[in-house]
Amino acid sequence: MADMQFGLMMRGQFPAEDDMQQRFAELMEQARTANKLGYASLTNGMHYSSAPFQDFQQMPFLSRIMAEAPGMRLNFGIILLSLSKPLDIAECLATVDVLSGGKVIFGAALGYREVEFLAFGTSQKERVLRFEENLEAIKRLWTEDTVDMKGSHFELKGASCALKPIQKPHPPIWIGANADPAIERAARIGDCWYVNPHNRIDTIIRQTELYRRALDACGKPFPDEFPARREVFVAESREKAMELCKPFLKKKYAAYHEWGQDKAMPEGDDDLGLDFDDLVRDRFLIGSPDEVAEQMIDLNRQTGINHLIMSVQWPGMPQSMVLDVLHMLAEDVFPKVRQG
Amino acid sequence: MTTMQFGVMQRGVFPQGEDMRARFGELMEQARLMEKLGYDSITKGSHYSTYPMHEMMQIPYLCRVMAEAPSLRLNAGIVLLALQKPLDVAEQFATMDLMSGGRMIFGCALGYRDVEYKGFGVPRGAGRKRFEENLEAVKRLWSGEPVSMKGSHFELDGARISVPLVQKPHPPIWVGANADPAIERAARLGDCWYVNPHQRLDTLERQLVLYKRTLDEEGKPFPAEFPIRREVFCAPTHEEAIRIAGPSLKSMYEAYEEWGQDKVMPEGDNDISMRYAELAKGRFIVGSPDEVAEEMLHYHRVLGVNHIIMSVQGTGLPQSQTLETLELIAAEVFPKVRQGL
Repeated sequence: MADMQFGLMMRGQFPAEDDMQQRFAELMEQARTANKLGYASLTNGMHYSSAPFQDFQQMPFLSRIMAEAPGMRLNFGIILLSLSKPLDIAECLATVDVLSGGKVIFGAALGYREVEFLAFGTSQKERVLRFEENLEAIKRLWTEDTVDMKGSHFELKGASCALKPIQKPHPPIWIGANADPAIERAARIGDCWYVNPHNRIDTIIRQTELYRRALDACGKPFPDEFPARREVFVAESREKAMELCKPFLKKKYAAYHEWGQDKAMPEGDDDLGLDFDDLVRDRFLIGSPDEVAEQMIDLNRQTGINHLIMSVQWPGMPQSMVLDVLHMLAEDVFPKVRQG
Repeated sequence: MTTMQFGVMQRGVFPQGEDMRARFGELMEQARLMEKLGYDSITKGSHYSTYPMHEMMQIPYLCRVMAEAPSLRLNAGIVLLALQKPLDVAEQFATMDLMSGGRMIFGCALGYRDVEYKGFGVPRGAGRKRFEENLEAVKRLWSGEPVSMKGSHFELDGARISVPLVQKPHPPIWVGANADPAIERAARLGDCWYVNPHQRLDTLERQLVLYKRTLDEEGKPFPAEFPIRREVFCAPTHEEAIRIAGPSLKSMYEAYEEWGQDKVMPEGDNDISMRYAELAKGRFIVGSPDEVAEEMLHYHRVLGVNHIIMSVQGTGLPQSQTLETLELIAAEVFPKVRQGL
């Protein structure tokens, strides 16, 4: 394996009754630990109105956490881009790129929740148009002094992102995608497809072929960096790992199912309401250190994925378990993957 | 009122060609010094599309600086609220209030630049309405309960913020206002009027009467906290203070004039391109520590302000000068003002 980057996804979602100041202090500790152990990146997602969970907002959270993890890349993974205004996103991400010394990754996706579309005065129907024009506007703001462009919901008239990102021409643009048309869009307009945590690995293998063909059709090479989010858990044995993570992971996927995440997934792999053992199979990376390393190596061989963004904490899981997993991954799994 | 809080506005605006990583490092150094010297708050403003000047964005900046200054209050002063969606603002500030342990101040105002309104798809005539409905929605969302409300450009359908606020019922809402109708709005909607940096003291005295009258009409008491922004140039001697103030004020106000800030100021006080000496009178606080302290006490006596947010780093002033000014103000102005209250 040429190189594998290991990133930590901080979902930052916690049960309604949790003390969030305490949880925030714990996440800061996780960030310091991951920084020390050589993790490559920190990811935070984006959702509004997150009930039944509590959740931190992405822009403030990543802007604050960079102070604890100065060596790590900061992945906005993902931004619900159809909800936003391009001038806002371009300028805020550019500032974070400057403050962090060029560590921003810009993840973008469509979103799927009605409560979010409504609150931002848009709709499911407009989301593809807004997503595409926002992305175009942001790229132009990052690379041109002043921009004139009329979109369906904004107008740039001599507008500028005067503080440019440190990364040139701009931070990497990762496009989150579940469904086949979204993957073709990712090939067309992104720097890479950011593989989601939900689809089964056999689905991803099929979709990677689709992605490759779409890249060919655009005359673009396969990206150097090919990232994927996965749920990951490791313990001394597979039985132990399953036993420890099941109560938390199961609850999280029940919530995804309820939010309708699986409606955005491809046919034949569009049910997150499955029985837990069926849900885990060929989807999550769970087991002993040797088994997890093996699963990661397989995933890389089958798809070329070389930046793994790992979620290791689900709502309700205590801090001590998370820190144990961070250590075990860094000490017992990463070296094996790098050798393999 | 027997207290005075001292805050610093970190404008974070620099000319093209500056090394912004280096400038950022300097701002963090200023913040650490303010923490050590016992300043009360850090303020960051908000403007988009500032070419040819560089500006750091407000929310990322305040979140990053909170790590350097763990006991200072953090003033988002101001948020251009008419441009935003209320769920976004309510959620971001809830997270910031939580991460900072309840130290956020929510400043808000209408904004006045076409490039910003257009960039956010807001028709110019819709600014006032959006400001008012956004503020109402933000306040309701900050209750932490599910909110249903249909606005002109958003709909909350059982939407709910995702973390609770630390400050109850919510962070202080400071409403920035220049023009008379905006001051009435501040009295009606805000926890206080956040007095702007541009207007002369005589104008402010007149507007204070208007503010108090509107508060009375609303049945609201005069706010316990009454903040004002001012440009402050303090040096060991009067002459030195004049010297450091000159060039930075000139360039700053040329930029404001170009943007049209003077158009929203009241008649008779709306030509900010006047010569500096005339411009400074009753508007900027310039002088030796004794003079600066005396002028702050004068503001306190005349207006009742008790939180002074000082801009001390004008365009082009070197870091060493800013650090010296911060030290000098803390050492010599703070105690004199506090004794004089």
